[in-house]
Amino acid sequence: MSIEDQERDEVLLKRSAKGDEHAFTQLYRRYQAQIYRFARRMTGETWGAEEIVQDVFMTLVREPRKFDPDRGTLGAFLYGVARNRVMKHLERRPREFPLEVRSEEGEAKVVDIADQRTPAHLAEMRERREQVRSAVLALPPEFRETVVLCELEELSYEEAAKILECPVGTVRSRLHRGRALLLAKLELLREVPKRANAVL
Amino acid sequence: MNCEEFANLDPDLEALTQGGEHDAAREHVRNCPACAALYESSQRLRAELRDLGSATAQATAPSRVEMRLRQEFRTRHTTEKNRGRAIVAGWLLAAATIVLVGGSLFVWRGAKNQVAHNEPATAPEAAEAAASGPELGGTLIAENDGEEFALIPGALPGLQDETTVVRVQMQRGALSALGLTVNEEHANDLVEVDLLLGADGQPQAYRLPQEAN
Repeated sequence: MSIEDQERDEVLLKRSAKGDEHAFTQLYRRYQAQIYRFARRMTGETWGAEEIVQDVFMTLVREPRKFDPDRGTLGAFLYGVARNRVMKHLERRPREFPLEVRSEEGEAKVVDIADQRTPAHLAEMRERREQVRSAVLALPPEFRETVVLCELEELSYEEAAKILECPVGTVRSRLHRGRALLLAKLELLREVPKRANAVL
Repeated sequence: MNCEEFANLDPDLEALTQGGEHDAAREHVRNCPACAALYESSQRLRAELRDLGSATAQATAPSRVEMRLRQEFRTRHTTEKNRGRAIVAGWLLAAATIVLVGGSLFVWRGAKNQVAHNEPATAPEAAEAAASGPELGGTLIAENDGEEFALIPGALPGLQDETTVVRVQMQRGALSALGLTVNEEHANDLVEVDLLLGADGQPQAYRLPQEAN
């Protein structure tokens, strides 16, 4: 994010703190999507993610002075708040996985008419994506958040380190271990159909 | 490079395809089928993660979240504004009360001083008159109505700052205690008597207004 954008964020935040609803809405629209995606990828729940987004932005409404521009960008601050909320949410939640099986893409799905892939191929892809999603959700939270930020959100190690408040080296090692765990789990799932076919 | 060293490079595997400083790693992949398989799996995983990432990249919070937040924002700032107004109004009210109480106190004290200033002006004169009265054969004169006061026997009038004149009703027979001669036939009649009271509340002198009339 450029310095100009950061300054704009600060100005908007000041105006929002004084009761300017338009400024608050602008800030919300600028950051809601990434916070929502992060929360949803971390929790695997639509409702949980909505709640977290609401909590994060309520912090901006209630305690705008909590954000210190000297410590980082507003985006990193919001990610930090979201991260805390996600952890609390995960602690509160029962250990079982949610029954929610809605597609990750959300409610509205657009069918690409030009797509030449067969329905079987598309179904297989969807199934595989669901497996990856489940595998990511099954990771321990500290690895999961690193994978979500670095792989799914495609943030740099430095950006992720700022959000996670840890050294870049820690991000790298967590990502390494997270990938290894994912690889083990997904390779196992890939092997199962092969073995089943072999038996048949 | 051995397999362990190669495995530790995992986060930077992408560098293998981009060339650069990992020639040794590239060489190892070419010669080691296990690490080549690991590399391939890792690349596939990254592709799958990227696919998952791009599939969910457009996800945004539903508009109801924005509505709820804006509603909360409005409520909060309206409440804060009202609270601010209430605080200002409270302070103004408190200031007005203080001014009112202070003013009342000032007026009351002024009035009290006025009364205190007026009354002692009569009392010392009356006391002086009383002092020069019975012992010297004189009388006390109350300034308010110009009647004469007679000193009560045994009373020792001094120069007192605060004396008060009170009008009381008493039986005529009780006047004998003041050293007056009383007709016993009318001893039960009520008469009005003005008493000059000292600061200690003890009567010092008296007069009979109806007799003066």
